Amino acid sequence: MNKKYANPKEFTTLELMAVCGSKQIKNGEVVFIGTGLPLIAAMLAKKTHAPKAKIVYEAGFIDSNAIDIALSIADSRLGYRASAAIGLIETLGLMLQGGHVDVGFVGAAQIDEYGNINTTYIGNFENPIVRLPGSGGGNDIVSSAKRIVIIMTHEKRKTVKKLDYLTSPGFLNGPGAREKTGLLGGGPSLVVTNLCQMDFDPETKRIRLATIHPGVSLQQIQENTGFDLIIPEKVPTTELPTREELNLLRTIDPHGIYIPRAK
Amino acid sequence: MAETAVEDKRITLKDAVKLVPDGAHLFWGGFGFQRPPMAFAHELVRQKKQNLTIYTCGSEMDLDILVGAKVASHLEVAFYAIEGIGLAPNVQRRIKEGTIQIEDYTNLAMALRFLGGALGVPFMPLKSMLGTDMLTKIRFRPKKAEVMTCPFTGEKVVLVPSVRPDFSIIHASRVDKEGNVQIDGIKGEDVEGARAGKKVIVLAEEIVDTEFIRAQPDQTVIPNIYVTHVVECPWGSYPMMVYNYYDYDMEHIRMYYEQCKTEEGWQKYCSDYITSVGSHTELLQKIGIERLMKLKAKKPFPY
Repeated sequence: MNKKYANPKEFTTLELMAVCGSKQIKNGEVVFIGTGLPLIAAMLAKKTHAPKAKIVYEAGFIDSNAIDIALSIADSRLGYRASAAIGLIETLGLMLQGGHVDVGFVGAAQIDEYGNINTTYIGNFENPIVRLPGSGGGNDIVSSAKRIVIIMTHEKRKTVKKLDYLTSPGFLNGPGAREKTGLLGGGPSLVVTNLCQMDFDPETKRIRLATIHPGVSLQQIQENTGFDLIIPEKVPTTELPTREELNLLRTIDPHGIYIPRAK
Repeated sequence: MAETAVEDKRITLKDAVKLVPDGAHLFWGGFGFQRPPMAFAHELVRQKKQNLTIYTCGSEMDLDILVGAKVASHLEVAFYAIEGIGLAPNVQRRIKEGTIQIEDYTNLAMALRFLGGALGVPFMPLKSMLGTDMLTKIRFRPKKAEVMTCPFTGEKVVLVPSVRPDFSIIHASRVDKEGNVQIDGIKGEDVEGARAGKKVIVLAEEIVDTEFIRAQPDQTVIPNIYVTHVVECPWGSYPMMVYNYYDYDMEHIRMYYEQCKTEEGWQKYCSDYITSVGSHTELLQKIGIERLMKLKAKKPFPY
């Protein structure tokens, strides 16, 4: 069946990012997500290619089938038609550290070229400029899930050579570092931003441009990246969302809580 | 046969808060927007408690109020923000002023620290925090975490210290006067946290007859053996949510977030909704029955 791709004028960047995120979820996988765009991405995946994906929220809701948009990871909305409502030792301990989680979605205030993440402090630890929310379950997820998808906005100050604080481990300082440090999970596999998708070079574990979003130039990406990004010779354009995906997104978040409608 | 004497652990919210001395260490229940002991936080502010150390995984407005009112001076936590809206406004200011000190852990680390305290062992191992600044950047603890090689397998693990706080404060769905606790929906880290406390104060939406509990004992998540005091406290998590009971009041939470970006705004909020109302009941009267009834859970939805 031919896919009916939407015209780039028909969707917003956030919609494209949500669709990119949803494609990282395979049918039947156990998925660990938070609120925001990942929540929309997971809901979309369940309505399209991954109806058997099991969505787990760290507060304790398991295999959630929420129909309303949750604002908190512990939001009662996530309990609707869930298979279980337990707690953190269950989700982060037994399920995640126990090795049952295929893919986790996290955000980042800063990342470096090895996919290490900061969500704790901006500025100096002794005298910080901004106190961010902290790890929450982020470090647990990034430490122990088999794959990690990072969703964030692409800015020079957020893609840095040196993090202000290392909250969650990417590939640390390169190949073999995760294993040597004793981490269980596979580390980051993809970074989805408003400009592009980036993956990790299997040899060096350094971040690499994977696809460029429609309408975005390579120069624009370079100007907005603070670390040295590996740029392969050929970089394809990000697969466009289909009309079906866009229609579904708009029914998932009808009031534009996480994805405001295009004007 | 003589009827078994049923112990009555009920006390008032005011009396429960009176038990907490300045400088006490508290496990703080609820997770995110779900079942935070808001009414207890308000009363701690009214009674002008000081220098409390709070242990929890993730908290929101409740923690921001305790920090704003300078009730809490130390936090050992994993996360705080006003989720879906922004950063915790009072915490930002108090960090700059130096009136709050925060030791960072992960959610799993904190949950295991409570489990360790409850189990009576001095530390717990986990596979998070490895390779990060959480191991090396220490704010006030003499020792925060330790990487160790497992003596059996040679594998690396992080050891985190168990917590046995003076009090555990949780807000539950239902409890009987003996202190048997039932919690609908997610439990967060309350099941372990409640067992870690030297004294345990349970606030609940409803106090039910002990026969109600005993007709469905499988629903009890904290047996009375652990519980010191019980407080009847309907709408005790307002303006946050309680599963099967009520939804959050997003309008109020957004108002709080916007207003508390300035010290003056916070002082006004604190006066309007905490200190100038004498009690939890008065706060509910101020919010009004009409507004509260709109938030009541609409079955089959738990919100």
